[in-house]
Amino acid sequence: MATHQFFVDMTCEGCSGAVTRVLKKLDVKFDIDLPNKKVFIESDKDTDVLLETLKKTGKAVTYIGPK
Amino acid sequence: MAWSADRVTLGVEGMICGSCVQSIEGRIGALPGVFHIKVSLEQRNATVTYDHTRHSPESLAEAIEDMGFECSLTNATSAP
Repeated sequence: MATHQFFVDMTCEGCSGAVTRVLKKLDVKFDIDLPNKKVFIESDKDTDVLLETLKKTGKAVTYIGPK
Repeated sequence: MAWSADRVTLGVEGMICGSCVQSIEGRIGALPGVFHIKVSLEQRNATVTYDHTRHSPESLAEAIEDMGFECSLTNATSAP
């Protein structure tokens, strides 16, 4: 399974909590690195789908690339 | 065209900093049919003025839930 790296402009636990909740709904394995504002998602889903999900939080999101 | 603005206050949980507040205000405030939104970090709620032909307190709560915050209608107060 591929691991994708995303930059998400998170500033606090509330932000990462929001990201956690939207990703839980998507049912994927993920890891959040709050200090570095990065989210790692392990999924075979299309990166556009993951990007759209992360954008739901209203934060700036960019796809960095596969890990 | 007939429209009327309703106002509702929704309880929002999970906000910690000003950035969370800004995210919600920015995203919900940009929805068509939402005229104004004021999010309070201290009171943990969001007061939304909206066009009731396009939104309901339930749909607004769902939009906030969709962003990853817990939103409740329990202390929702509507003002005509």
